[in-house]
Amino acid sequence: MSTPKAQKPKSGISRREFLKKSALLGSTSVVSSGVLAAFQDMAQAEPLTALDRGEHEYHHNDPESIIHTVCLGCNTGCPTKVKIQNGAIVKVDGNPYTPWTRVPHLPYATSIREASKIDGAICPKGQAGMMTVYDPYRIRKVLKRDGARGAMKWKTIEFRQAVEEIVNGGKLFAHVPGEKGREVDGLKKLWALRDAKLAGDMGKAVDEIWKVKTPEEKQQKVAEFKEKFKDHLDLLIDPDHPDLGPKNNQFLWVHGRLKAGRSEFFKRFVQDALGSSNFHGHTTVCQGSLYFAGKAMSEQYGFDEKKRAADWYGGEKFFWQADQSYAEFILFVGASPFEANYPPLRTPNIMNGVESGRLKFAVVDPRFSKTAAKAWKWIPAKPGTEAALALGMIRWILEHNRFDARYLANANKAAAKESGEPTWTNACWLVKLKEGKPGALLRASDIGLPKQPREGKVKDETVAYELDPFVVLSGGKPAVVDPTDEKTAVRGELLVDAEVGGHKVKSALQLLLEEAQQHTIEEWADICGIAASEIIELAREFTSHGKRAVADAHRGVSQHTNGFYNCLAWNSLNLLVGNFDWRGGFVKATTYDITGGKAKGPFNFKDGMHSAKAKPFGLGILREKKVEDTTLFDGKYPTKRPWFPNATDVYQELLPSVADQYPYPIKALLLYMGTPGYALPAGNTQIKVLADVEKLPLFIASDITIGESSMFADYIIPDLSFYERWEFHGSHPNNIWKVQPVRQPAIAPIPETVTVFGEEMPISLEAFMLSVAEVAGLPGYGPNGFGPGQDFKRPEDYYVRMVADLAFGEKEDGSDQVPEASDEEVAIFEKARRHLPKSVFDLAKWQQAAGPHWRRVVYVLNRGGRYQDYRQAFDGFKVKNKYAKQVNLYCEKVAKSKSSMTGKSLKGMATYLPIADSLDRPLNNDGDTLHLITHREIFHTKSRTAGNPWLQELFPENAILMSTRDAARLGFKTGDQVRVVSASNPEGVWELPNFGTKPMIGKVAVTQGIRPGVISFSLGHGHWANGASDVEIDGQRIAGDPKRGAGVHANAAMAIDPHLKNVCLQDLVGGSVSFYDSQVTLVRA
Amino acid sequence: MSEEQLPDAQGGAEETQRERRNGKEVSRRDFLQQAAVVAGSATLAAAAGGCVPQFLIKKPVSATVGTQWGMIVDLKKCVGCRSCTVACKAENHTPPGIFYNVVLEEETGEYPNVQRRFIFRPCMHCKNPSCVPACPINATSRRDDGIVVVDYDKCTGIGACVGACPYEARYLDDGSSYLESPSPYDGQPSPEYGENRTRENDQSPIGKVRKCTFCLHRLTKGLSPACAQTCIGHAIHFGNLNDPEGQCVVHDEKLQDLLKTRRHMRLQEETGNDPSVYYLT
Repeated sequence: MSTPKAQKPKSGISRREFLKKSALLGSTSVVSSGVLAAFQDMAQAEPLTALDRGEHEYHHNDPESIIHTVCLGCNTGCPTKVKIQNGAIVKVDGNPYTPWTRVPHLPYATSIREASKIDGAICPKGQAGMMTVYDPYRIRKVLKRDGARGAMKWKTIEFRQAVEEIVNGGKLFAHVPGEKGREVDGLKKLWALRDAKLAGDMGKAVDEIWKVKTPEEKQQKVAEFKEKFKDHLDLLIDPDHPDLGPKNNQFLWVHGRLKAGRSEFFKRFVQDALGSSNFHGHTTVCQGSLYFAGKAMSEQYGFDEKKRAADWYGGEKFFWQADQSYAEFILFVGASPFEANYPPLRTPNIMNGVESGRLKFAVVDPRFSKTAAKAWKWIPAKPGTEAALALGMIRWILEHNRFDARYLANANKAAAKESGEPTWTNACWLVKLKEGKPGALLRASDIGLPKQPREGKVKDETVAYELDPFVVLSGGKPAVVDPTDEKTAVRGELLVDAEVGGHKVKSALQLLLEEAQQHTIEEWADICGIAASEIIELAREFTSHGKRAVADAHRGVSQHTNGFYNCLAWNSLNLLVGNFDWRGGFVKATTYDITGGKAKGPFNFKDGMHSAKAKPFGLGILREKKVEDTTLFDGKYPTKRPWFPNATDVYQELLPSVADQYPYPIKALLLYMGTPGYALPAGNTQIKVLADVEKLPLFIASDITIGESSMFADYIIPDLSFYERWEFHGSHPNNIWKVQPVRQPAIAPIPETVTVFGEEMPISLEAFMLSVAEVAGLPGYGPNGFGPGQDFKRPEDYYVRMVADLAFGEKEDGSDQVPEASDEEVAIFEKARRHLPKSVFDLAKWQQAAGPHWRRVVYVLNRGGRYQDYRQAFDGFKVKNKYAKQVNLYCEKVAKSKSSMTGKSLKGMATYLPIADSLDRPLNNDGDTLHLITHREIFHTKSRTAGNPWLQELFPENAILMSTRDAARLGFKTGDQVRVVSASNPEGVWELPNFGTKPMIGKVAVTQGIRPGVISFSLGHGHWANGASDVEIDGQRIAGDPKRGAGVHANAAMAIDPHLKNVCLQDLVGGSVSFYDSQVTLVRA
Repeated sequence: MSEEQLPDAQGGAEETQRERRNGKEVSRRDFLQQAAVVAGSATLAAAAGGCVPQFLIKKPVSATVGTQWGMIVDLKKCVGCRSCTVACKAENHTPPGIFYNVVLEEETGEYPNVQRRFIFRPCMHCKNPSCVPACPINATSRRDDGIVVVDYDKCTGIGACVGACPYEARYLDDGSSYLESPSPYDGQPSPEYGENRTRENDQSPIGKVRKCTFCLHRLTKGLSPACAQTCIGHAIHFGNLNDPEGQCVVHDEKLQDLLKTRRHMRLQEETGNDPSVYYLT
């Protein structure tokens, strides 16, 4: 046999030809890459078989077989390439254009033919995605309740008939025993106030009521309101409390997982058409307090356009995370990025970093997670003591001068700029003490210094206002601070405890030091149940990497009754090393605009594209306001239910508020992709409300199966799954690239086809809204719905235009546009969609919606979104996509609000609070109970994946993890069946009205990998609906699959608030539910 | 408190920012220069995936001088997610109970000094496989590129090879399926061996022995095995182990460098099977 090198290729292309053909192989670095060496040494000989010649049929990686879209196995939303064969999904892989699935991701300009050969990496849920999409328990037709709520008896009805019933109301359930005479208000009736101008005027008058301070003044304003609008008082929920708003607010929208695009589409229906203030999400079941700590810390001080005066404004509901691609040290606290914290997006950079020696990471978690398994250090601290650990570290860092003093001394933007910092803090600003307690920040006017006249802009109008600057101590003398001044740098002394102009003041950093000095490091360690040496070691490591060290806290920190302050504490640690916006530091998400708002077109959904927008006003049912500002405040605490001036989307409070009719009764609920009954702690309390036809007269659910919460609905509108529909999935904070993934239809729809506005389309929530608009005559839909000459009759009329906005970019002059697709790419685009019916993909209609932007739309859709190139994310040692604003160490806005349950002022900064109920009474664990927490395995996502047979097989049943010591003490061994019981659920069952009970019984798994005294179960099992139980449809029994109900879901054993009694424990500041503060007992089953 | 005590705190000084790669400290500037190349070649490695047919378009060469497809699995980087397991299931249409690869998991140590290890285990594609001689009808063989294959047209499901494999990497397809009524996915043919067989009506591969093929049907189209491609920990390296310059076709490492610089092992070496899957420990 001759040597391989001597042989010449006889078939296939030569290496040189290949090099010429491949656009990726463009540079000279190719030659030295080592890849070629492999070629040179390889034999090039006659192939034996058709298989070896590559002549077999395999088209998975042909561009014509691929649609780039976005997974929704979990919220990571990995951009995927869905491979289609005969119209069916045969394989899902990662979209290589994106940082989610490939390091480094392909340049955006790479041709789709080239990219088709390159698959990115995704997780097992993503790989199994088609089995969720092709779930045999998917609903295809509208289901109407044919028995009591929860009885799982349904009949199918025509889509149009369902819409008419929902719009017109009436005795809709006369066929159900006990509901014969029950009259249901339809949406038409709830759409009471239809005059946008009148709504706007009333809204302004309500603002006036809220602005005045005393009850007498408020009464006066209410009287004026009633006089002014005396002809329209019947449109209000309660004319004596005009601030409850119009009857329209009695329509309640609640969503689970909802991302951009669909979000705008649905808001258009709820807010812009029906005029309801009640559009609410699920944030607080995830990590609400982390989001709202981010909001408090990101409030900026300056001209507020809405108030036309200087105030705090612009706080963003968001959070920061570690840039794992460059960090040297990450402390993951209550976070497991290999399992539940955006795994595909984070894992490669973390593991590559560990392998190369660049990165070291530690994990704080009572459970030895897969992330902990790879960590330098695992710290199994007691759940609920996260702030104690952070404060212990803060104490050591401050007392050992291990912080970035230069960063913290920068008091404003100009100072930050001078020292090359994108962000600055208020660490050196002075806080006034009132009776020894910190409250408002010291202002210039407090010490006799003048306010400064300024001018602000509201659109084109110039508005004069006064700025009352803040104060720092500089060289022992007060200096005034305009936070956003870019010219005059102000720096302050860091640790100040002084009297200035007759005011006792301390600097924010001094207050933090004092918080940290509440306990010695040994005492903090004791609270956490760890060794003091571990706190010191973490603190030393954290301050040994400059700005490339990050504390990355997530659910385990946020989902406690003290979650908000836990998050402030961990974010404060990041401020001490000044790592915000630094490469390898603390970073934020950045996405491309899809609304056309930034470029003012081509389709400006933000400020236009509507004929007659409604103007919702009045309180939302979540009371996201200071109660003291409203007409409901009678001077007494506690209020009936908590108010949330510092949080929104407080999921767990929605249904209990409906039950208590506080602050007003709700008439109809539309629940989208959410399951409060299954997902929330003490979800049994939520289910009671869903089943109550008196408190909740009309309940419409949008779902893809009959789920644990939608099973109680009056109507279930089948929805499209994530591979049949549109959405713009956005990004996550640890992703330093500017991105916007586009979810687009990849397969023919599974729900049946219907006709709306004369157009054929699959049933979906969009179709439902369009149809309601058609039947009720809602503005902003149908012919000329977007304005003259622009119809809004199909979902694509909306979404294709949004893609056009995305393609156009954010510059008015068009300089930010993507290229136009080539002829070849256009041809591939059409061919790749040859299996889609016209109800989804009607080429002419898509082209019409996009207008002259069509080829750019194709360019974006061919790549499944828009993605900044790998190298563009860096700006020297900083990230390019910066936050670049003030970060508050001291949150004055929070400090100026009170708990509506105790009347006590809230603290404006990091602190350690014990676990407590809604009246702030500490909850002590004094019995012989086990501390229940939860975790998530990468194989399942809460409510969504139990029906996926591949994932079932991978992880058929969860278990209750128990430490070896507890098992020995209690006499349990792996495999023992136990029932989870608690003080609030002594039977250990889910009580499901009209359905029965589901016991909380699961298997014990004994492990060394959990803190003794703590037990944990993974979320996603123990289903009773979603295909796990029998249902009756049109008189036919459809058998459930018991495999889908395997395992245990112990949320119903979680603690109920002892005062409120119909909701779980919650963080009244940041809004989070408590997932990790419950005490339970395990009983042999 | 002074900033001097925290020299790195400003982060801006290039000299103080060090990147440690492969145990060697290089200055930030050097690293950035290197990074351009590293990143570039990573892109190329994938493009090289597109070149893989070149490796195969040749006369099979003997196992000692020619191609030996193999894997190098970095146990440090495997995070136990099992994306590999599911990707394989999807790619090869395997029925319930059949996994061409699995991830074994073990917990050792005592609280709080616990370890958890994840071991990805595909077919080892042994150079001296015990399954091949076990087959009385020569339905299974080792190709000259090192891949151990089953000829579905010859295999009668005797199953002797299943028991012979010390790694339990072979399964008998008993015809079961995940769902009572097949989904649109189930109705699609499996691309295994480039044969595109539809698994229905007791037709092949039902009743046959099934096992990992290193996604031979993808290799011959210039694509890497599905498991390696979707590994989120970048733990699975794949390529020609016989090539001294052989590059991993998924990531940018040179295979022999991995074996030279890292401690490694193979599973059950004592069997003498000479497996083609190495583990970096």
